[in-house]
Amino acid sequence: MKLKQTFTLLVFVLSSFLSLSLSASNSQVPFGIRHYDIGSAQNFTLSDIDGEKYELNNSKGNWVFLHFWASWCGPCRVEMPGIQQLADKMKGEKFQIIMINTAEDEDTVFEFLGSINVELNSLLDIDGQVTEVWKPRGLPTSFLINPKGKVKYQAIGGREWGDPIYINFIKKLLKSDA
Amino acid sequence: MFKIITLMLVVSNIQAAQSIVVKTPDMEVDFTPRTANQMGSFYEARGFPKAMRDVLKKQCFITVGIHNKSNTKIWLDMSNWKFTAGGEPIVREHRDYWKQRWQNMGMPLSKQSTFRWTLIPETLDYLPDEHEGGNILLPFSDKPISITATFATGENKQGETIVITTDKLFCAEDVEEDAE
Repeated sequence: MKLKQTFTLLVFVLSSFLSLSLSASNSQVPFGIRHYDIGSAQNFTLSDIDGEKYELNNSKGNWVFLHFWASWCGPCRVEMPGIQQLADKMKGEKFQIIMINTAEDEDTVFEFLGSINVELNSLLDIDGQVTEVWKPRGLPTSFLINPKGKVKYQAIGGREWGDPIYINFIKKLLKSDA
Repeated sequence: MFKIITLMLVVSNIQAAQSIVVKTPDMEVDFTPRTANQMGSFYEARGFPKAMRDVLKKQCFITVGIHNKSNTKIWLDMSNWKFTAGGEPIVREHRDYWKQRWQNMGMPLSKQSTFRWTLIPETLDYLPDEHEGGNILLPFSDKPISITATFATGENKQGETIVITTDKLFCAEDVEEDAE
């Protein structure tokens, strides 16, 4: 009888473990995002379109979605509404969306963001030198930086950030210590 | 009669300068020649100085899109690409060449940066289903351009090599208004 109880317990423990493993594998990185453990995020200070200064290191303690874009890049335009949806869904979370426009002037960025009807602000990398340091694969590119300031993931090209697959993935990141 | 022949030549050149797509089971590469006016307009709209645009107008622009359709990495390395015009080797300048040239001309950093973003990367590991591209600049030629592009594959570049070739490209030229 005791042996049967032990066996039942063992089966329960194993099935729980299997269930957890399956759950973990289901929450793996969604399509278009890859692990990108390159260590500490390169700090920078840039101003946004309102002239407010922002320093990346001040975002420690939050997950940071760092997004490089330009108005002349077609996929960037397509991706923006999804980023707005992501911003809306993540309001109140320890999650910051930091957008960096690559090498365009304030008027171009202001006009572009207004024309696509998003409320997103953007930092201005007017001479393109922060982008040079970060070396995105192309435009657009997004990085996910953990609360300790370590780069953890990179998104390839434009993604539908408003899709539950991506939102759930990011929400799970916030609960983890990745 | 002369005008008709001129028109036929122009049409023939336009057709030859159209996009070419090369497909293999693992990847798709498209080549689209751009005219000086197309590129000039693009850069002018981005506020590029005339001195920069004048240099760029003399180049043969080919926009290249590369799509990895395989389940493994495909490695782009532009040093593994060979170019000829009319059978004679021609040199594609490295992006470092352009960086140096713009610096020597004292061009604004922002325009140098934007220009670099319009170029194809020198190296890139394409992940499955990744689609990236950029421009290749060649010396202008009215002769047929051939391109042989060699790609390593696999996580550690140890997979089968893919070679893509095309010899049906032409530098795109703007059609003259009076060609009727």
